[in-house]
Amino acid sequence: MTTLAAKARKHAPIFLVAAFALLPLAGTAQAQKSGGSITVGQELDIPGFDPLKVGVYDTSTFTAAAAIFDTLTTLDDKGEAAPKLAVSWSHSDDYMTWTFKLREGVKFHDGTPFNAQAFKENFDRQKDPANKCRCAFYITNVKEVLAPDDTTIVYKLTDPSVNLPAVITIQSQNNAIHSPTAWKTKGDDYNRNPVGTGPYILKSWTAGDRMVLEKNPNYWDKGRPYLDRIILKPLPDAQSRFASLQSGEADIIWDDEADADNILKAQKDPKLTVHTYKGSGAAVYAFNTKVAPFDDVRVRQALVMAIDRPKMSQAISNGLSRPASNPYGDGSWVKCKDDGALPFDVEKAKALIKDYGKPVEFKMLVTATPRGRVVGQVLQQFWKRVGANMEIEQVDQATIPSRAFTRQFQMTPWRIVDLADPDPQMYANFRSGSPLALAGLSNPELDKLLDHARVTPDLGQRTEDYCAISRLINKEAIWFWTFQNTYYALSSARLKGFPKIYNGVIDVSRTWLE
Amino acid sequence: MLNFVVRRLLAILPVLLAVSLLTFLIASLLPGDLALVILGDQATPENVAALRRDMGLDQPLWWRYLSWLGHVLQGDLGRSFRTGQTVLQAVAERIPVSLQLMLMAEFIGLLIGVPVAIACAARAGGAFDRFMTGSAFAMLSMPSFLVAILLIYLFAVELHWLPATGYVPFTEEPLNNLRFFVLPALTLALAEWPGIMRVLRSDMIATLQEDYIALAKAKGLKPARILFVHALKPSSLTLVTVTGINIGRLLGGTLIVESIFALPGIGRLLVGAIYTRDLVILQGVVLLVACGFVIVNFIVDMLYAVLDPRIRHGHA
Repeated sequence: MTTLAAKARKHAPIFLVAAFALLPLAGTAQAQKSGGSITVGQELDIPGFDPLKVGVYDTSTFTAAAAIFDTLTTLDDKGEAAPKLAVSWSHSDDYMTWTFKLREGVKFHDGTPFNAQAFKENFDRQKDPANKCRCAFYITNVKEVLAPDDTTIVYKLTDPSVNLPAVITIQSQNNAIHSPTAWKTKGDDYNRNPVGTGPYILKSWTAGDRMVLEKNPNYWDKGRPYLDRIILKPLPDAQSRFASLQSGEADIIWDDEADADNILKAQKDPKLTVHTYKGSGAAVYAFNTKVAPFDDVRVRQALVMAIDRPKMSQAISNGLSRPASNPYGDGSWVKCKDDGALPFDVEKAKALIKDYGKPVEFKMLVTATPRGRVVGQVLQQFWKRVGANMEIEQVDQATIPSRAFTRQFQMTPWRIVDLADPDPQMYANFRSGSPLALAGLSNPELDKLLDHARVTPDLGQRTEDYCAISRLINKEAIWFWTFQNTYYALSSARLKGFPKIYNGVIDVSRTWLE
Repeated sequence: MLNFVVRRLLAILPVLLAVSLLTFLIASLLPGDLALVILGDQATPENVAALRRDMGLDQPLWWRYLSWLGHVLQGDLGRSFRTGQTVLQAVAERIPVSLQLMLMAEFIGLLIGVPVAIACAARAGGAFDRFMTGSAFAMLSMPSFLVAILLIYLFAVELHWLPATGYVPFTEEPLNNLRFFVLPALTLALAEWPGIMRVLRSDMIATLQEDYIALAKAKGLKPARILFVHALKPSSLTLVTVTGINIGRLLGGTLIVESIFALPGIGRLLVGAIYTRDLVILQGVVLLVACGFVIVNFIVDMLYAVLDPRIRHGHA
């Protein structure tokens, strides 16, 4: 968001962006070519698309969802909300109501017209308590969605949100818009037969093998998409995924820092392009301050001060991981002169533990993956050096959220994902009483800052609030941050038009082959 | 023979029952609560309690086992809570891939192992025998993921002869299908042939010392005829057992190999189920695989009896 836009918002609560609708979505100087087919190597099998079944989309599902479905809004290259199925939007003075004007004449792949009623049905289906959808958790801040006429929808929020259009851009379980006719007629089978309004139509899907998406000839954005066909393949092994890219069986692959050697290798290969996006957010850890020894701030501070992030980065990702000192990251518009980060200081940490006077022994949850184990072991060594004994408790990925939500942990890993605005996650993670406030600390000053930041349109003021929040959390050491989020995709150099990897989504729906 | 078959069939029933109990216990005794996993972010204590009630998780273990077994006996192995697919659907989609992989691996393993064993046994202690026995030992110590990556780099990345990953069904493109299977099957086979070779080699050496072989030699039969016709069959008894047991071992190998080569088989299904804690799929697949293993062993027993009549009469 530019300061100009922020100023305009401040002075005119009704800020229409209809003019943006006339601009092409991905304005770029290169000439796009139509035709051809690409294969995308993904990390995981896609479980399906019906939010009621899969609950929450994973990184592989995001890629398919970005091609099959549209969202109301999208993020442009500057990270600002731009029109997609919504052409313009406005908000009430208190940011509790947002009104979106929808694009006309758009149809789902099965011919069902896309209109306000269809959108509302999508929303109501997720929200309906009878459906018990895990997806409902992420829209608890929306009281209801109204459809006063065919081309207007109104979001009624329970809490103010100054940046809603940017927040709802991710192709997630909540934002991807499905054809109501399709889920009603297909029932249980809908999960594997998704129907959206997006640039590609699902043609075939062999379980565990390939998903074939074909160009939607009636796509509303004339001239797009460029590729005739996209093939998505789960290639779970990082080494063979990279080999598939090298040998030409895949044109673009998902990758992450755990596969640092191949990323470094690809950087030197002229036939390959490394797409890097330094997002917002970070890999973070929460202390449960309700249980010993973390009910004492000295212990928490000591453990944070004992971590040598550059050395850890070297150990886990060949130096690719970028140290984090706050929860926002380089990709965020929040830039702090002083984020209050505790320094790396082994002597000070030892002194704090000594001052605490009791043995510091605790268990830390880590994911039962090679990466989780290594991270656990590295931290274990740092903490041992300052006199704290950590025992690694390995659990599978799916167990961590449930253990965290029921507070069955002393220390747990977590993640602040790349979102266009820090508010949703910061508010959920740190506001007293939130089910996600894992540390269990109630701090009136922190609450006041969080409340203020979410209703203030002025970016300068919000930045100050969020930096003050960071200073407070760092001082109290209720959470700590190890590395900033960085997202990777490796592709053949022929693949062009690949957008920024917002929130880790490999969106190939706008790409073309040279 | 019929008597023998019936006796063996009756003997595997308790085994199958034990398999079902163990499978059930594995999934039930794993740390963590299925209700918590399914609900994830929605896991409030009330929701968890309600779901546990709905799923019968609040019932005693023996009751849950019997009720699960009852469903299993009616062919209902449950439904994945992630994808909504039934276990049988998921397995039916994946099993042809794993079967093809295992059969091809076993075939290649035999193709390498049997001739090498015969050649080694023909001149036991010779240079070729010593070299191959050493190589077999070296191959046995190579982990399959390493072999897989080496094969991929050589044949896919450097030489471009074979694809690194992927799959097409045999019914769609038979030749291409075989191309996709060569490297994964070879990876498994490279770990298989040493066992096959060593077993057959030592049995063959023993057989070649029998009197009737000496007689055959005295009669002036060609060495090749003696080796392949007179010595191979009586020497292959242990080989049949090993081949049977290998099917079980190969199933373990497919977990790694299918993931590396991105083959959509049950190994991948199982790894995915473990990764996402899809206990219903996990339980169902383990049960089916274990039953498959028991049945393969039964078939091996039958073959054994065909090869050596003394076994079916209970003399050996």
